[in-house]
Amino acid sequence: MHDRSILLVEDNPDDEVLTRRALAKNNIQNEILLARDGAEALDWLFGTGAHAGGAAMPELVLLDLKLPKVDGLEVLRRIRANPRTRLLPVVILTSSREEKDVVTGYGLGANSYIRKPVDFGQFVEAVRQLGLYWLVLNEPPPKPDAA
Amino acid sequence: MIGTGLSLERRIQIGFGIAVAIIVAVGAAALRSTEATVSSAQWVAHTLQVRAELEAGFADLIEAETGVRGYVITGDTTYLAPYHSARATLNSRLAGLRALTADNPAQQRRLDSLDTLVATRLERFQWTIETRRTGGPAAAARAVSGGRGKELIRLVHDVITQMEEDEGRLLAQRSVTLQAKARLARLAAWTGALVALALAGLASVLVGREMAGRRVAEERLRLLVGSVRDYAIYMVDPAGYVKSWNAGAERIKGYAPPEILGQHFARFFTPEDVAAGRPAAVLHAAATEGRYEEENWRLRKDGSRFWADVVITAVRDERGALLGFAKVTRDLTERKRAEQALRASEERFRILAVTANDAILSADARGHITYFNPGAERIFGLTSDEVIDRPLTTLMPERFREAHRAGLARYVATGEARVIGKTVELAGRRKDGTEFPLELSLATWKHGSEVAFTAIIRDITARKEGEDQRRRYAAQLEAANKELEAFSYSVSHDLRAPLRGIDGFSQALLEDYHERLDDTGRDFLQRVRAGSQRMATLIDDLLSLSRVTRSELQLAEVNLSTLAAATAAELQKSDPTRAVMFSIAPDLVVRADPGLMRIVLQNLLGNAWKFTAKRSPAHVEFGVTANDNGRAYFVRDDGAGFDMAYAAKLFGAFQRLHAAAEFPGTGIGLATVQRIVHRHGGQVWAEAAPERGATFYFTL
Repeated sequence: MHDRSILLVEDNPDDEVLTRRALAKNNIQNEILLARDGAEALDWLFGTGAHAGGAAMPELVLLDLKLPKVDGLEVLRRIRANPRTRLLPVVILTSSREEKDVVTGYGLGANSYIRKPVDFGQFVEAVRQLGLYWLVLNEPPPKPDAA
Repeated sequence: MIGTGLSLERRIQIGFGIAVAIIVAVGAAALRSTEATVSSAQWVAHTLQVRAELEAGFADLIEAETGVRGYVITGDTTYLAPYHSARATLNSRLAGLRALTADNPAQQRRLDSLDTLVATRLERFQWTIETRRTGGPAAAARAVSGGRGKELIRLVHDVITQMEEDEGRLLAQRSVTLQAKARLARLAAWTGALVALALAGLASVLVGREMAGRRVAEERLRLLVGSVRDYAIYMVDPAGYVKSWNAGAERIKGYAPPEILGQHFARFFTPEDVAAGRPAAVLHAAATEGRYEEENWRLRKDGSRFWADVVITAVRDERGALLGFAKVTRDLTERKRAEQALRASEERFRILAVTANDAILSADARGHITYFNPGAERIFGLTSDEVIDRPLTTLMPERFREAHRAGLARYVATGEARVIGKTVELAGRRKDGTEFPLELSLATWKHGSEVAFTAIIRDITARKEGEDQRRRYAAQLEAANKELEAFSYSVSHDLRAPLRGIDGFSQALLEDYHERLDDTGRDFLQRVRAGSQRMATLIDDLLSLSRVTRSELQLAEVNLSTLAAATAAELQKSDPTRAVMFSIAPDLVVRADPGLMRIVLQNLLGNAWKFTAKRSPAHVEFGVTANDNGRAYFVRDDGAGFDMAYAAKLFGAFQRLHAAAEFPGTGIGLATVQRIVHRHGGQVWAEAAPERGATFYFTL
């Protein structure tokens, strides 16, 4: 289910639109699963709450940090704590450049930390590069379902 | 020394007794020898006399006979003279012999025979003479020839011979005895003399040895006394004149022996003591009590005074006659001074304790108060009289008392201290029962074998209030900082999100609605984007400035030269078309926060890079120079420079000396540099002139 999808965890609708636009401009056609807060992101991944139908196993998680309900770092911690999602690539995509956040993010096992540039051109470039890297170049870990 | 318990005197007495006895014996023996010799001589004389008498008597008898015969023959009476003479002498001779041999019964018996024989012979002569006179020569001749005259003479001769032999034998016997006696006596005399000589020799050796021992002991004593330097030891005679003087006396009093021996000891006394008659008084006291001791001032030769401990001992012979006084004096001036210093020190500390603002109190091992200073009276509202000998717990709130008792008992029993030597905060209890916070410094010391405690107590009510106030302020500050941090975070995160929207959608408009916009519309959208991007930069710089203030300094060795070189390389990479000559002094190592120093150099070198944009080639230098406060590091460029009239505005946030169109920037860089330098305790300043470049200095 939702194979090769991208889980976008983003509460700001503007950022959601701009991210989708940046992905589209880079011809990244993967299905976008959207979570408006941390709790929903966890529901998507673990098949709980609104997504009780089944757990998604996306190719990549784009995770904002400042989120309603459950914040991004907590979401990351829970992803890494679960054996099923332990190896899931997570890219933190956020406005913050606070050293504290960067250090904690990597400490919890984030695969990348990208600060969203204000300049949309730069943002498109950043999305292009991370899409190229994580969705094309990177050899993903074996999916637990398939294994 | 000879190892006996006898005293020398006793031994000498015994030795002399033995010698005298031997000499008396020798004398007696010699006397006896002499007596024997005299006696022997007397006996010889005696024997000769006896013999002479006997011979003379016999001769008388023979002469008498011869005379009688002559008369018989001639009738001439003159021939009878010897007969008459013999009659006269013989009896006296015989009486003499009887006396001479009175001690010899055998001779006396022979004398008896001789008496008879002589008497008989004389009778016979008488008869013969009568016969001649009456009967004539023939009758007489018949009488003579018919008589037993010859036999009588022979018998007399025999007796005399016996007596002479006996005397001779006796003489020989006596001589032998006497010679033996004389020999014995001589032997005794010689032996005695030799023994006496040997004894005298032995006594002489013993006495000599004893005397030598005494001399050694006396010499030792003299050297000992003489060499003692810490004590003046000397003798004075009964009148107080100095008789001996040791090294200590010389050292302490300053007189050499020749100048003091024979002088009166009153000169050691102070004039006031002399006036009070002390010299005589102390000698009198020593003489009556046997010993006198005092501590007092005494004089040295140079007139200076020293505090002396004086012991005077009367010295008497066996009969109790006063020979003089032994004086032992010690210089206790140093001790006296130390005591005075101690007293002064005590007085100082007493005044300190009395005037101290803090409570100072002492307690004994039972925890009972032994001292309570005025400060304590004031702080606790109790008088010293009210608390002395009362337990320390009087001064404590109820809840501390048990812990105090346990702590005191533990310390006294085991020496384990928990509050001693530290400053602890506790609560005190005033007389009126109110509590107050106090600071206690407890010290302990040994008072004899007992422990004692001294506490310094400060009423810290005011300080506590101040501390509480400060704590409240600190908490408020903390909260404010937290708020600021949250604010910064929020600014960083939330202010940027709308900007991204503005920029992103402006771009979307430009892309998706390009055809429907004219040039002016597109230009406006470009300006919207530029404005939002500039605002993002401002936000980042502001955050950087606030981070500089908030983050803690992480000091380490920082090589500024390396940092500067790296920054220069980054700058050149950012615009390879620029021709900028960097000259960087090597090995400028400082102790600072590496991250913050990087920001400083990025800003200063970045500014130099920026303001030399119109120079080609431009020169930027990083180096160090000495100034009043040590080393000042500098970044110098030959760029646009600025008017020093505006230098004061340089380091304020958002202050710019150039139009943004001319040189880009937010005006926050130098403000950040200044904050970093100030946080390192340094200074930052600039020198510049328009179009002549600028130099920025900083110290650390």
